[in-house]
Amino acid sequence: MRRRDLASIFLTAVPITAQTTATTAPDDLTTARERVRAAGAELAKTAVPMATEPAFQFKAY
Amino acid sequence: MKPNFPEEFFYLSLAEIQAKLRAKEFKVKELTEAWCDRLENRGPKYNALAHSLRKPAMKAAKYHDKDFKRERFRSPLHGIPYGAKDLLSYAGHPTEWGAPPFKGQVFKEHAKVISKLEGVGANCIGKLAMVELAGGGGYRYPNASSTGPGLNPWDVTRWSGGSSSGSGAAVAAGLVPFALGSETWGSILTPAAYCGVTGLRPTYGLVSRSGAMALSWTMDKIGPICRTAEDCGLVLQVIAGGDNDDPGSAGKSFYYTPEYVRPFSEMRIGWNPADLDAVDDPAVRQALREAVQLLLKLGFQVKEVKLPDLPYSTVASTLIGCEMASIFEPLVLDGRVRQLVDKNQAAGIVAATEYKATDYLKAMRLRRVIQEEMGKVFDGVDVLISPSTAGVATPINEPLAGIAGRGRLPLGAAGNVAGLPALSLPCGFVRNLPVGISVVSRAFQENLLLAVGKQFQAQTDWHKRRPPLPA
Repeated sequence: MRRRDLASIFLTAVPITAQTTATTAPDDLTTARERVRAAGAELAKTAVPMATEPAFQFKAY
Repeated sequence: MKPNFPEEFFYLSLAEIQAKLRAKEFKVKELTEAWCDRLENRGPKYNALAHSLRKPAMKAAKYHDKDFKRERFRSPLHGIPYGAKDLLSYAGHPTEWGAPPFKGQVFKEHAKVISKLEGVGANCIGKLAMVELAGGGGYRYPNASSTGPGLNPWDVTRWSGGSSSGSGAAVAAGLVPFALGSETWGSILTPAAYCGVTGLRPTYGLVSRSGAMALSWTMDKIGPICRTAEDCGLVLQVIAGGDNDDPGSAGKSFYYTPEYVRPFSEMRIGWNPADLDAVDDPAVRQALREAVQLLLKLGFQVKEVKLPDLPYSTVASTLIGCEMASIFEPLVLDGRVRQLVDKNQAAGIVAATEYKATDYLKAMRLRRVIQEEMGKVFDGVDVLISPSTAGVATPINEPLAGIAGRGRLPLGAAGNVAGLPALSLPCGFVRNLPVGISVVSRAFQENLLLAVGKQFQAQTDWHKRRPPLPA
């Protein structure tokens, strides 16, 4: 089972309740998912040369 | 006779407190008791205290008094109390990460930074409040913590900043002489700026995170929040250093020697006037302009710079989101994520499990590009300066802007993604609320930042101001 499947099962069974201190609460999960999708789209806009490897062994320099 | 500690005593620098201890004006036990009383009495007024550590601190104080009696001084921090963000483990006492799902959590060992401070005689008197899970899921309101919203000592209707909320407030209100905080993206600089204190975000890898809650393995940093830049240097000297228990450790030490940096007249400050566009309040903009002018008077040459057009914030949020999703996956699977105070944060953690592997890889590749580009920027300047936040502390009932209310200033995201150090200095007040300016350098140039901070604070008194007494 993939993570996204697990997440959707969890969210189907247990809806996220509204933020109690907010007067109006948008659909938190929909907004958060949109943010994730938008981040992917934003990253895709920037071209990176094939030779640029991910910074797995990250060190500051 | 019990010594009398006047109100102004609690705002002294570490060196001043240490000098009084060595002069035997009071005992470590008396000093510790006075700070514990203050932290326990006033900490809750700002929602700054997570757990008091009076009992172990008083026990340690007795041993320190024996050292002082024999004139055996371990370090400039010997006998000095401090507070630690509740993200750092303290053996045998609760470490709850500000989050209801972790209520009652106890670890067997100290975090490495707490062990190091203990080794030089500094005395941890309390765990300080924080935004739950350091806010990685993106919280909507400052009350995203099991201890309630961090209240700002300058105005308790305002936020003390996050996620090191208690650390910023406790130092500002004189409840601890210094505190440890952590930053993944803005969590030291924001509370430091909002509370009018000095905060140092060290280079990634300089300070061990062993024993600290992980939010993002490749972006988490631990650093000091103090009254002055000098104090930050003294604390960093102790907590820095290589550690095999931290895979991100750079294996480097740090010695506080600001006197050996090059003359400021030979150095250039990089400044992007467009950064002020992100600051809405004209009075805040004016305070920041005056701070820039003062830095120029210190002898620096100034150069206008513009960061390359790259998606800094998106890279930062993607890296944090993907790593956080893996770290807190068990919380999603067993449903405890629903216990979080801020439902926006809970939703953020759940949604983060849906990032694609290619998103993370792309962010990691862009991170390399950002590191290279930041290197080029620093070819022309020695330090960069920028507002620490886009304004003064926000009202506690106001929704936070953007992802978890992080400032939208590009240097904040770029500096954290590249692992660069930064120092936030108080640089003015607007409507009795502090304003902060940040200085950023190349990696491992903390002495340069601290030298700038020390000179800036020699010319100003913003860091010496005291908030009103609590009601």
